[in-house]
Amino acid sequence: MSKAKNILFNFKRYWFLMTQLISRDFKVKYKRSVLGVLWSLLNPILMMAVMAVVFSQMFKFKVEGINYLVYLMTGLIMWNYFAQASNMAMSSVVENFTLINKVYIPKYIFPIAKCLFIGIDFCLTLIPWLGIIALSYVGLGEYTCHFNINYIVLPYIFICMFLFTCGIGLLISCLSVFLRDVFHIYGIALTLWNYLTPIFYSIEILPKKLQFLMQFNPMYQFIDSARLIVLYNKMPSLATLGIIGAIAVVTLLIGSFVFKKKQDMFIYYV
Amino acid sequence: MIIRIKDVSMKFNLGIEKDFSIKQAFINLFSRKKKDKHKDDFWALKDVNFEVKRGEVIGLIGSNGAGKSTLLKVVSGVMKPTTGKVEVNGVISPMIELGAGFDGNLTAKENIYLNGSILGYSKKFLDEKFNEIVDFSELRDFLDVPVKNFSSGMTAKLAFSIATIVNPEILIVDEILSVGDLKFQEKSKRKMMEMIKGGTTVLYVSHSMQSIEDLCTKVIWLEHGKVIKMGDTKKICKEYYDSQMGK
Repeated sequence: MSKAKNILFNFKRYWFLMTQLISRDFKVKYKRSVLGVLWSLLNPILMMAVMAVVFSQMFKFKVEGINYLVYLMTGLIMWNYFAQASNMAMSSVVENFTLINKVYIPKYIFPIAKCLFIGIDFCLTLIPWLGIIALSYVGLGEYTCHFNINYIVLPYIFICMFLFTCGIGLLISCLSVFLRDVFHIYGIALTLWNYLTPIFYSIEILPKKLQFLMQFNPMYQFIDSARLIVLYNKMPSLATLGIIGAIAVVTLLIGSFVFKKKQDMFIYYV
Repeated sequence: MIIRIKDVSMKFNLGIEKDFSIKQAFINLFSRKKKDKHKDDFWALKDVNFEVKRGEVIGLIGSNGAGKSTLLKVVSGVMKPTTGKVEVNGVISPMIELGAGFDGNLTAKENIYLNGSILGYSKKFLDEKFNEIVDFSELRDFLDVPVKNFSSGMTAKLAFSIATIVNPEILIVDEILSVGDLKFQEKSKRKMMEMIKGGTTVLYVSHSMQSIEDLCTKVIWLEHGKVIKMGDTKKICKEYYDSQMGK
């Protein structure tokens, strides 16, 4: 009990630092750009437009019976969050070595701050995403998506994805301190993972064996649940929701455990 | 006792710094020589013992690489000692390296908040003390200038002003009183004196015997990670000076 209290107290104490680190990232990112924070909104819109043209017009991808554009975008924004956040979290500890070497700060702050920072971006991309769904009412894409009551589960799914990303971020940021090769390996791994996740194609086109393996792809689980709600107006089963939560919590626990175990060693590998 | 250092040793493995690569691993596989695993060990601190009472001003002296900065890092919690125990009963304000938490792309104003949060200040506290920090740093005209455009003296002035705005129970100072121009040096020294009078415990590293003698109530002389002598400021400073000058 006192341990939980301690963690909470620490979190409160360093929350201001967390917000400062996040706002630093924002300021540095949009420094000297005319449109500034507007880019956080404009960027996903333009990206979506490009992807929509490439996949639905050039490659003629489609998934039977549903709005392909919404299908694609749902997968894309969720995947992009994970890829960007985990990638930035990975290098965050090594990048802040000068600080870690000088002042005592709980080191987990750096990867978590990155996950939150990209998380804000993610929340902004939800606006154009919802816009596309709304536009399907007036004929964007072949099929209409319907806003429905099941949307209340979406935040739960996104939070699970966030916790999962934090777990992975803690894990690889720790690993990359000891083995800088991880920087290169993870880039490749992400690309492979990207193509192995049905983001722009339908799971139906995969061989049966791979389809079964998708059950063990956490990112697919998150994306698939969100799609079920948005495209099929269905509530994911309680079992699925439970599994998603379990994946998130277990990953976060593993990440935190490894990070906590190894963080005192960081200083020797500066 | 506000700080208690008991049998503290700090080991660095110099082997980590050597490039580990596949090529090296391959060579090692076939080389007959058994590698001595402890060859690369370097003891930055060895069995250091001392206690600091509340309000004492401790000077740390010794040649480069004697372990002074490592000791400060161990006390401030940046490093965990390999063996031994460090007990600290109070809030520490570390000034090990000024401006370590600055982001060059941010303005002075933004950096005051960023650096303040790194040192553990709250937002409310920084809001209240903001003007005081700016006045002390004498940089009011440069508040909206990115810190990367500052001269090193200006950066140090800003950092000193942020770090000393609190009245910490323990202040850890590594060779910083020589920052800024003459006027600022005097000012920062006065500020230090003020804090010491206010009851702050200080750990102070410097190569300037003059400032050590001016400020410290007690001196610890470190050499090769070991405590050579500790005690009366005048006496030990003299002995240290003589040994350095080869008398």
